[in-house]
Amino acid sequence: MRDFLVVWSERALLLKGLGNTIVLSLAATIAALVLGALGALVLMTTKSAYRLPFAGFVDAMRCVPFLLFAYIVYYGLPSLGLNLDNWSAGLAALTIYNTAYMAEILRGAWVAQPADPIDAGYAFGFTGLGHFRRIVLPPLLLSAAPVVGNQIIQIVKDSAFLTVIALPELTHAASSIQSRHYIPFAAFITAVLLYWTLCLVIEAGVAAIGRVAEARR
Amino acid sequence: MSTADIFAILQGAVTTASLSGVAILLGLPLGLLLALTRWANIPIVAPLVTVYVSILRATPLVTLLLLLFFALPNIGVPIGAISAAVLALTMNTSAFNCEVWRAGLMSFPKDQYEAAQSVGMQAGQRLRRIVLPQVARACLPGLVNEMSLLIKVTPVLAVVGVVDITRAAVRIGAETYEPLPPFFVALAIYLPIVYAIVCLQRLTERRLARAEAE
Amino acid sequence: MNSPIPAAGNGHRPVLTVAALSKAFSSLCVLENINLQVHRGETICLLGPSGSGKSTLLRCINWLEKPDSGQVYLNGERIGVTTGGVLMGDREMSAIRTRIGMVFQHFALWPHLTVLQNIMAAPVYVQRRPKAQARAEAESLLASVGLSEKRDAFPAKLSGGQKQRVGIARALAMRPELLLFDEPTSALDPELVGEVLVVIRRLAHDGMTMVVVTHEMDFAREAANRIVFLDRGRVVETARPDTFFVAPATERARQFLQRYENSSARPARRDRPQSFA
Repeated sequence: MRDFLVVWSERALLLKGLGNTIVLSLAATIAALVLGALGALVLMTTKSAYRLPFAGFVDAMRCVPFLLFAYIVYYGLPSLGLNLDNWSAGLAALTIYNTAYMAEILRGAWVAQPADPIDAGYAFGFTGLGHFRRIVLPPLLLSAAPVVGNQIIQIVKDSAFLTVIALPELTHAASSIQSRHYIPFAAFITAVLLYWTLCLVIEAGVAAIGRVAEARR
Repeated sequence: MSTADIFAILQGAVTTASLSGVAILLGLPLGLLLALTRWANIPIVAPLVTVYVSILRATPLVTLLLLLFFALPNIGVPIGAISAAVLALTMNTSAFNCEVWRAGLMSFPKDQYEAAQSVGMQAGQRLRRIVLPQVARACLPGLVNEMSLLIKVTPVLAVVGVVDITRAAVRIGAETYEPLPPFFVALAIYLPIVYAIVCLQRLTERRLARAEAE
Repeated sequence: MNSPIPAAGNGHRPVLTVAALSKAFSSLCVLENINLQVHRGETICLLGPSGSGKSTLLRCINWLEKPDSGQVYLNGERIGVTTGGVLMGDREMSAIRTRIGMVFQHFALWPHLTVLQNIMAAPVYVQRRPKAQARAEAESLLASVGLSEKRDAFPAKLSGGQKQRVGIARALAMRPELLLFDEPTSALDPELVGEVLVVIRRLAHDGMTMVVVTHEMDFAREAANRIVFLDRGRVVETARPDTFFVAPATERARQFLQRYENSSARPARRDRPQSFA
């Protein structure tokens, strides 16, 4: 259809939006995974002075709508003296929000891990952060891959919310194309198909990791 | 923040609650219907359902909402903000519900189903008397989880102008130049609702686990 | 205590006729050209090594598995295909299945219904009998299998042997013309096998028409009118039990019985009548 040709002519803008979505999601994912892994450590510790506040934070993020949280970070923080542009605010909101989810996911996968290899690690002299990084984390990530994969898809979808703070990601690009050319169907369907492709790629990645995990079981 | 402002936010809460409620009530049976289509492997329809569910689960709600709100009038289907919002929420939640129902149906013990066949129950009776009573119980935690997720995405309705809790809070913040207080009021409304549903979900999970252990 | 063997050619149409039945799963041929007739009041035991197709044959009779070729007749009526030559739909198939009862290896009771409700469900919902009448009949069936006091219990609380007796009562509640048993005791602990075999033997003695797939040789010798021995998807030998177990005609049957003799020291007879637990 003619409309799709218009979309094709605007592909630079669309691809830039897609690129921003990918960059944003990737950055938030990596940050959330790293912080979430540390968070899982905190959730598993016996020292309640550390564990309880963080657990409270996780429960709070579980109950807060992401869009509201993004608004609070973007509009609310300046009144506390912290001025963030939309990129930083968006990235910060995505990261903080998903750190809580990743921590909970990794904790859940952790308690499902067999105890013997972990104890063996201690027996062989691994301690603290080294033990966590070399003994606990690798099988943990492998077994949690499907759930983490779902959360990554969630991160991609949450990134679309950030269109409301004018972040030039994919939905924002599609929106801008449709408002300038009056081709809402073509523009948004293209965006939907691009999100779907992203999602299929992530699921394929998770399946590949699953095969690696199977080989090492 | 004046009482009038708080009242405005509460009005938004009513909007949020009623739209969520409608979407939940529509999305539950619709999700079941989609799941049954795949479970019964109805030719032509089943693969279409698979693609539909896959796309909807991958699409951000805001994109879907904008698509429906702007594109439908463009191809001749007039639709207002509220209808677009309900449609988007329902389509979204029905796709996720479909997967929850489908997991329950797929794990239903085959020999119980065959026993129902062997005594001559027809398909509708097998479903109504034997399969659904058990599958509904098993799917309850997952379905309640989806309800909590639905409530958490309702702020997206603000994007098409529906005045829900979040939009009311944003508007008041813009008018008063103090964005944080109305956001905290909004939080104070969302948190207990979602928390209540999360507790309900944990409760159903525990009761289900106990029933299965017997 | 053998049931009297019906005279051959007694003029009655067989309850069950299987003709030239074949079935394959993907490329694996599971049943090949099976022919079988069961007359009223007969008890047939299907014996054979695992993988011989016994259970598949049973499930082809009530079309839980769809045969690839061949015909199945219940009292002269063709099962699975209408008179017009078209595959039967769910409604017609269900109507026929009300006349055939089946007892499953793993009991297949419905866990969300009580014992009594399990037995009453089909008579009430499928045959549309009035609830009071169905309940009375269910109670009497439950009594006949010795489980009256369990009427309001849920299946999860029952032992394996009790569950299977409920399964038999549930199949009987439909007043079927034919009863099929798919390895009814294979999933039971040894000490629970006897209580179920007692019930099945009594049904045989009372003249129920039955096809039983089983590994219980003593039971087959005692209760069957005829043994049908399957191996690798074919009927290898058909004989009366006293012939089959003492002097089987075919080599394969001999090997099969030999393996059975060698596999275990003959246990004490488990299907002696006993009081119900």
